Amino acid sequence: MNLNNFIENFADQFEETDASAFTPDTKFKELEEWSSLIALSIIAMVDEEYDITLKGDDIRNSATILDLFNIVKGKS
Amino acid sequence: MAFFTVNNVKIRGIAACVPQTVEENSSLPFYKTPEEAKQVINAIGIERRHIASADIAVSDLCCKAADQILAALGWGKESIDLLALITQNPDYLNHPTSFVVHERMGFPDSTMCLDYFHGCPGWVTTLSSVASMISNGGIKRALLLDGDTVSKDQGAASREERPLFGDAAIATALEFCEGAQPMYFNIGTLSEGGKALARLQGGYRHPYTLETLKSELGRLAGTLQDKEIYKMDSMDVFSFAITKIPKAIKRLCVTFGVSIDDVDLFVLHQANKMIVDSIAKRLKISEEKVPLSLKNYGNTTSVSIPLTMATTSAKRYRNEQLKNVVCGFGTGLAWGAAFFETENLVIPEIQYI
Repeated sequence: MNLNNFIENFADQFEETDASAFTPDTKFKELEEWSSLIALSIIAMVDEEYDITLKGDDIRNSATILDLFNIVKGKS
Repeated sequence: MAFFTVNNVKIRGIAACVPQTVEENSSLPFYKTPEEAKQVINAIGIERRHIASADIAVSDLCCKAADQILAALGWGKESIDLLALITQNPDYLNHPTSFVVHERMGFPDSTMCLDYFHGCPGWVTTLSSVASMISNGGIKRALLLDGDTVSKDQGAASREERPLFGDAAIATALEFCEGAQPMYFNIGTLSEGGKALARLQGGYRHPYTLETLKSELGRLAGTLQDKEIYKMDSMDVFSFAITKIPKAIKRLCVTFGVSIDDVDLFVLHQANKMIVDSIAKRLKISEEKVPLSLKNYGNTTSVSIPLTMATTSAKRYRNEQLKNVVCGFGTGLAWGAAFFETENLVIPEIQYI
């Protein structure tokens, strides 16, 4: 699993936020565009791209994109 | 494993009834701008929902649907051996709603009444049970009523719940028919995540205290947000739906030798558009095989599958012979997937009260 690739897939779920806003340390829930609908898109993306099932708590317990990447990595 | 076949049963017809009052999602009070409302509506695919006013209970909707289907089929009440009813919103807490319908419509004492307490997978799960009772020929005709007024459970200020849920009822007419094409079922349960959809207060485990009743009324009126009272964990439910449901449908088809390409229609629980689209995408089935009714009716819990058959796809069901896969999922958490064939179903026009 590649971190840059994960960040790219993560950023794809947003429409308005500029790609440069997404780094390993981005606190994604603080982004203006973040919403419960984007949370669902992230869950769908992780299922599709990595065949990993995320739970609500996985999103809730992650602050940064790197945190979520590590959770996905830990499940694979 | 709950994979099983039911022989000798045919679905003869379905009739729908919804409340007349419509609530437009674009005019919900909590959206700050029309753009915000539009964005949500696009994602969930729900523009409006029919809402039961305070004086409409589940039995009212069910009686009207039952009347319609009996009249359309020309079936007398004395020919109905079983009156089954699925609801999560019974008229009374301790009196099964099928008895209310039996009394009001004047069914004879030879009609058996049976209530099923089930949520979103309920129509499929109960169909498996009622059809099994008919299968050996003792019970010749059954009416399967299914109604919920789930909008009454939603907080007026709840952005996660209120735009989704609508109220509706359906009557499904089933008949013993020797040599009918078999129905196939795959029913599964994942109760570990089940409280994700549970309303925790007000039952016999946690009866209302003055304090919890106050906060419940506040939640319904929209003056109070308390996630602990009725917490729908949308992320958990979404992840359950898009991962488990495609697999449940695939396993149903593999187990019973049904080729996914041969299926004419996949009628899925109308949870929201994101979920239905994600499941269809994972099954690699084309859009036109997955009818949607959620645009005008919303998520109508266990009613959503037969409601879609009786509205969006009514023409096809009336005029054609169809191979169907249906799948209800959610509350439990659980799923009910089935394959059955239909032929020229009797579907009266939708009724309003």
